[in-house]
Amino acid sequence: MANNITQRDAFWDRIYEIAETNRDVVIISADMGAPSLDKIRKNLPSQFINTGIAEQNTITLAAGLSMTGKKVFTYAIAPFITLRCLEQIRVECSIMKIPITIVGVGGGFGYEDSGPTHHIIEDMAIMRAMPDIVINNVTDNVMAKAFADISCNLKKPNYVRLDRQILPQIYNENDRFDRGLSVLKKGRDFYIISTGCMTSVALEIIKEFAYETDKIGLIDLYTLPINEKELIKSIDSVKKIITIEEHFLPGGLGSAVCETLIDNNINIPVKRIGLVHDIGYSYIYGGREIIRQHYGIDKKSIIQKIKEFLNEQ
Amino acid sequence: MDNLIKRLEEKSFQIRNEMLDMCIKAGTGHVTSSLSCIDILVALYYGSILRFNPKDPEWKERDRFILSKGQASPALYTILADLGYFDKKELSLFAQKDGMFGVHLQNDVPGAEITSGSLGHGFGIAAGIALGAKMNRDLYLVFTLLGDGECYEGSIWETAMFASYHRLNNLIAMIDRNYLCVTDFTENLIELEPLENKWASFGWEVIRLDGHSFKDMLMVLLDVRSRKRSKPLVIIADTVKGKGIKSLCYDPLWHGLAPKGDIAGVCKLELERGDKYGQ
Repeated sequence: MANNITQRDAFWDRIYEIAETNRDVVIISADMGAPSLDKIRKNLPSQFINTGIAEQNTITLAAGLSMTGKKVFTYAIAPFITLRCLEQIRVECSIMKIPITIVGVGGGFGYEDSGPTHHIIEDMAIMRAMPDIVINNVTDNVMAKAFADISCNLKKPNYVRLDRQILPQIYNENDRFDRGLSVLKKGRDFYIISTGCMTSVALEIIKEFAYETDKIGLIDLYTLPINEKELIKSIDSVKKIITIEEHFLPGGLGSAVCETLIDNNINIPVKRIGLVHDIGYSYIYGGREIIRQHYGIDKKSIIQKIKEFLNEQ
Repeated sequence: MDNLIKRLEEKSFQIRNEMLDMCIKAGTGHVTSSLSCIDILVALYYGSILRFNPKDPEWKERDRFILSKGQASPALYTILADLGYFDKKELSLFAQKDGMFGVHLQNDVPGAEITSGSLGHGFGIAAGIALGAKMNRDLYLVFTLLGDGECYEGSIWETAMFASYHRLNNLIAMIDRNYLCVTDFTENLIELEPLENKWASFGWEVIRLDGHSFKDMLMVLLDVRSRKRSKPLVIIADTVKGKGIKSLCYDPLWHGLAPKGDIAGVCKLELERGDKYGQ
């Protein structure tokens, strides 16, 4: 699959293919554009709606359309299509269980130059607080494409969280994502569990631990709620777990992993690496790496933290 | 026509009584918000306006009625029970243990269509259904009832702008203009008027009428299916919050409450008497 395109284009290109044959697929954009979306707007005009910058109406409209048999995708920059219309999502998706797909672009610091209004570093916690909404935090283009298909067949509402930037391809075209997580490398003693954009960083990080290559493994966890059975089976009898996320720690991936471990009586040390509330939101510019350094989740800082954690008795 | 109006007035009286009994028994429910819109609902459901089938609530060709002001669920539940959507015994369990439904509207009740209670949602859902009907070339109409206080929600105006631009002339919004919000009269809070101008400027056809006059409502509603205009229609229905029961009218403090004890008895009496002030 072409890797010079963004997750957004990988996702919408696949939706375009599906929408060509399934005329019940409707895309509602809250005034977000993309070359891949232009194609839908131009060639499938009756299946494309632009609601303008009006996210609340976008969600209620999607709910109503869904009640007439449409498979609806709503789209905007991630903070606006989740938090701006959060109460609409709560009532229409979580309470009424209307199976629309909410597509947000710009997970984490994807909009690196746009400041904290456009960063989205608390949405996983907020969205997963509501029952019956599936969160798919996308890792690469192969997965973005796969979640286009998965969303079409899902009987529940879901939130597809796309990265804005072009990220390395990790998966193969025939990889499957229905188990909610993938073991990218098996580990005997330790596991790193990462999500979204941090998985490609984590892949580089485990190279730093080459001297104990059998010991440390990597799991990419992309669907919340966690598939507990699958996670417990995958981590088997490891001694320590490290979680990595470009997201605030309260309620995020690390929280979710800890909840799973505690609820299943697995008492092993966990190091959560992510954004701390003490730093809060930041007006930091100069690129994603600079922002990550500010929060101590750049590659170098993470390696340091992992080394300290693994050396602890 | 006169016979029909007389029948509707009698039905209205019956629904008011049953709704009041239900809320008194439960000790809860938005009684005044229900009283203001009962005549509108009776006109729609008993005046041969809405197409529906209580034996088949999911009938594909039914008109959709979306109660956006979900706090008036006691009015709608009483009517749905009367029409046979579910057993009337459910009304006596309103908001109680093992009851089918509570104070706000829920979508698993036959005929209710949506969950509502949070304002500014149902109107947008109704627009989505109207758009879907157009896409599917379905001919049913989508009716939605809004509260006037609900019009303070920004989402209402997002949808209003959208619906007129997309020529959703199969969408008919009715506004229960009872002039009262939770704490005060709307015009003391933030003026809603001139409400007709606001909707007209958003591209809607606007009709204003007396929401307690069956004659006025039927004159408009009986023609609604043969409308030729491309604009969506909003009917601003002037009403009285607490209509039918003198003691409950014109007092913001009755919002969201059911009368209890001696006052409940007084309310029953006033409703029976058809007191001029409230009736």
